[in-house]
Amino acid sequence: MHTLVSIPDALSIVAVWAIVILMAWVLGGYLYAIYTGKKGRLDRFFDPVERFIYRLAGVDPSREMSSKDYFLNLIILNAFQCGLAFVILSFQSYLPLNPQHFPNLSWDLSLNTALSISSNTNLQHYGGGSSLSYLSQMMAIQFLQFTSAATGLSVAVAIFRGFSGRFGGIGNFYYDFVRSLTRVLIPLSFVAAIILVALGIPQTLNGYVLVKTLEGGSQVLKVGPVASLVSIMQLGTNGGGYYGANSAYPYQNPSPLTNWVEIVLMMLIPTAVIFLFGRMVGNRKEGNVILVSSYTLYAIDLVISFITVTTIGPGMEVRFGAFSSVFWTVTTTAFTTGSVNASLAAFNPLVILAAFMGMLIQATPGGIGVGTMYMLMYIVMTVFIVGLMAGRTPEYLGAKITPRDVKLAVIAFLSHPLIILVPTALAYSMGAAGAVGAGKGPVGFIEIFYEFTSAAANNGSDFLGTSANTVFFNVSTGIVMWLGRFIPIAVMISIAGNMSGRVRNIQAGLRTDNLIFAAVLVFSIMILVVLTFFPFLVLGPILSYLEGIPNGL
Amino acid sequence: MKIPEKLNAPLRMAIVSMIICGLVFPVAVTGIAELAFPFQANGEQATFNNTSIGSYLIAQEFTAPVFFHPRNDSASGVDPDIMLSSAYAQIPGISNSTGISSSILHGIVDNFVSYTMFFFGTPYINVLQVNLYLVEHYSSVYSKYVKAG
Repeated sequence: MHTLVSIPDALSIVAVWAIVILMAWVLGGYLYAIYTGKKGRLDRFFDPVERFIYRLAGVDPSREMSSKDYFLNLIILNAFQCGLAFVILSFQSYLPLNPQHFPNLSWDLSLNTALSISSNTNLQHYGGGSSLSYLSQMMAIQFLQFTSAATGLSVAVAIFRGFSGRFGGIGNFYYDFVRSLTRVLIPLSFVAAIILVALGIPQTLNGYVLVKTLEGGSQVLKVGPVASLVSIMQLGTNGGGYYGANSAYPYQNPSPLTNWVEIVLMMLIPTAVIFLFGRMVGNRKEGNVILVSSYTLYAIDLVISFITVTTIGPGMEVRFGAFSSVFWTVTTTAFTTGSVNASLAAFNPLVILAAFMGMLIQATPGGIGVGTMYMLMYIVMTVFIVGLMAGRTPEYLGAKITPRDVKLAVIAFLSHPLIILVPTALAYSMGAAGAVGAGKGPVGFIEIFYEFTSAAANNGSDFLGTSANTVFFNVSTGIVMWLGRFIPIAVMISIAGNMSGRVRNIQAGLRTDNLIFAAVLVFSIMILVVLTFFPFLVLGPILSYLEGIPNGL
Repeated sequence: MKIPEKLNAPLRMAIVSMIICGLVFPVAVTGIAELAFPFQANGEQATFNNTSIGSYLIAQEFTAPVFFHPRNDSASGVDPDIMLSSAYAQIPGISNSTGISSSILHGIVDNFVSYTMFFFGTPYINVLQVNLYLVEHYSSVYSKYVKAG
């Protein structure tokens, strides 16, 4: 059977995976050092900066927090950050750094955008290059892209502390949040941004450039502070582009080389967090199980997407070719980044099916910090199921898994289909789908189902784009994005807080640090997710595939 | 008194983080970018007769039959490149209207080829690069545009 993947294509996947895993392994060691407070040479620089930030905010980073306290501080901080961005977007025409004199965003679009970026989703119902001032791009979008990524990292670290039971609690939110910014995200984004500028991405505060073209026509070059945004949007698995066309727009992704650099950036930290987990629980094999499981699921997505041949066509950018466009699309959903380098409507239904799998599982390896969190949610459920079948007490990392843990994990798991399927049904029954000219037939169903799946999974890629800038879609997806973000975080922090003080009897139960468990985990994730969403996948991408629809164009 | 105390720290942290991430960071990156990479930082602008005539990265409209034409269906709408095969397909028309022989045009186009996978993948060319080369090297044929530029 003829498939798309040539030998150089296949080798490029292997090369990218090898580079990412190697870099992530190194970064994982660094993350372990900074989150466990190991002394290092860089302290001389970072310590005073952080002390200054703690003093400005009036927080004590050494105070141990309960899980409730940790979560409340986290969500209140996120709410304030979201509010600040909302104000900037709503009043951008009165604020500086608006050389194009863009008007204020409507209340519902400002709300959607602030909820979207603060929840690490980056669903975009606005066209960045044609409606956002430089100040909005910086102080609303980039700002929240940093803080939502730092929130994700903090969540992961707190949960790892609790699950491991080796740190006497889950830590202090402000300590984790500030260190995530000062020692991880800002330095990495800084290096990435400079590299991206060198490779051709604009970074300027001068206004758009009006030129006379070679034929004598006029053209506006939409430059701006692009590279500093692209670096954090990929590293932080945010995905919200400077432009509406995202990383298909040449100023955001000028060449095949930047395309690969951006792919590496989006894969790096979620993979490093898996290594961090292995180190924090004191058994790197436990981290390796998660690494193997999540990359196996990612590989399954890739195989699905390459079953049918994709050729370069409308909706794709010539410089990336068909292979890199498909590889990007699967990767951006596997890591729930949501940046796109081609129009989703350009892809055949099986590529879209693979994209759905990434967003429905959310742990393949998933978004920054939260990807591994979802994996732990699946592990709690899997250990329980296997424990029932084998007649043993469910245990993980030497601690007993209680019925309360399992109930909470199930709540986190079931919240996902609930916040996808209910609003999808509402969009049809309230006529909102038809109002934006979408929703007809299996292709139309895909567009609406994808919108809410992407919102709930905090992914952010979509079919509808600015056409969904209606009050219904702005408010509904806004609510879905915050619920999809913070329900699982609240639940998993609660489980971690409970586990932190639990008695540990090492190796009394089923072993979870070997390949057999990885296989069981992958199998149970596939069963859980497929059983939940199968009817809806059948109505959308699978029906489209069976009907022989080539793509959504 | 209990509630405002709880909101005090997160509110202050929100403002501090906004200033650092939303202002200090992008301004610092801009400063370094403008100093170290001014060409890239300002959008890789192509110059002709010492004036900017657009960007190599953003497709511009070409309608005259003497030029290679970009595609207009792509994801970004400003795809600056076309596949080599599509460039070849345009050569006979351009040769007719300019009098430049097809074999010379083939040679020029081949000089500008890039690949989607570095050395593998689909060959493509940047439309503006090739058109600018033509205007610069065949100024008599393109005299209208030389003057306009």
